[in-house]
Amino acid sequence: MKLNNEQIERYSRQIILREVGGKGQERLLSSKVLVIGAGGLGSPALYYLAAAGVGTLGIVDADFVDITNLQRQIIHSTSDIGKEKVISAKEKIEKINPEVRVITYNTMVNSQNIREIIRDYDFIIDGTDNFPAKFLINDACYFENKPYSHGGILRFQGQTMTYVPGSTCYRCIFNSPPPKGVVPSCSEAGIIGAMAGLLGTIQASETIKYLLSAGELLTGKLLFVDLLATEFRVIEFRKNKKCPLCGENREIFELQDYEQYVCEDIREE
Amino acid sequence: MLKIPAVIYDKMINHCKSELPDEACGILAGKDDTISEIYCMENIAKSPESFLMNPKEQLQVAKDLRKKNLKILAIFHSHPSTPAKPSEKDISMAFYEDLLYVIISLKDKEPVTRVFSIKNQNIKEVPYYTDTLNKM
Repeated sequence: MKLNNEQIERYSRQIILREVGGKGQERLLSSKVLVIGAGGLGSPALYYLAAAGVGTLGIVDADFVDITNLQRQIIHSTSDIGKEKVISAKEKIEKINPEVRVITYNTMVNSQNIREIIRDYDFIIDGTDNFPAKFLINDACYFENKPYSHGGILRFQGQTMTYVPGSTCYRCIFNSPPPKGVVPSCSEAGIIGAMAGLLGTIQASETIKYLLSAGELLTGKLLFVDLLATEFRVIEFRKNKKCPLCGENREIFELQDYEQYVCEDIREE
Repeated sequence: MLKIPAVIYDKMINHCKSELPDEACGILAGKDDTISEIYCMENIAKSPESFLMNPKEQLQVAKDLRKKNLKILAIFHSHPSTPAKPSEKDISMAFYEDLLYVIISLKDKEPVTRVFSIKNQNIKEVPYYTDTLNKM
């Protein structure tokens, strides 16, 4: 793949970076990234990845744009209310960068479909809003040997971590989903839009760094952000020997569907 | 998982919108689980609550498919004022167990598309995805 003149101009501000260059830009253009959840985290992630010229973007979401989404899910507009989120997101991506190939999956990930969906991609972003999906994505990426970025947000706080095959996984830190009702959802506890924007943007930057093999990834480290205190903390986590997924005495050998109980939004028909 | 190229998906939605207030119908063909051809058909029932394909057009489609060596994978039709799920009539008229049934609801401002397999009155939703590769 050789860059054409328009591409050289469009991406000039990042091509001049030592970490990118012409080769890196070509690599981005031939990369495939899957974003699971076109919501608060997925919105900025998709925007920046599309703008940066990641050649293929997959989007998974079964939801429809709702007026309560618009305060933080900036890839959707007021005129999109009622639209399938994947279609709304696809339309915005095509406006920013028509050369991006967009693949939309209007479905929820589950133990039956997730391995097939992620298999084709170089990097996965977890932009979901519930624990069952987060554990499912972690386990599926482990089984399929895929790198991914974890992200979670609530109120003014967020956390993110990057996984590459062999590094500390989500289960090394958080063994299993919290019991029902212990952790409130975004609709119960609230979320500041800028928090989602900041964290989704970090996930996009981790993705680009991974694709370029540039800098240091958030592997083996969990970044905590508290926007009320304006505080960023990085905590190191080594691989956990007792991890039920990747530890010495493995207990998990296949994907499982935990009961869906957080941020559930069943559309009325 | 059924793959619908985005251009074909858009054509299908536009055809359904253009036939309002009546139901629209058509055929999606391809190979394996990938759609590569769309045939927008005339609804000779001309009704907002049912559809019936034009047999002459169906014959032409059959000829064209033979020439292109493609198979019918799905039948699509719209629901102008009801949700995107099979109606009683849709279920009783689902004669082809190997085909998928795509239903596009236009009851709200935005279209909603769902894909189903209907076997012996048994309805199962089938996931699909769209792909913008090969824009035309």
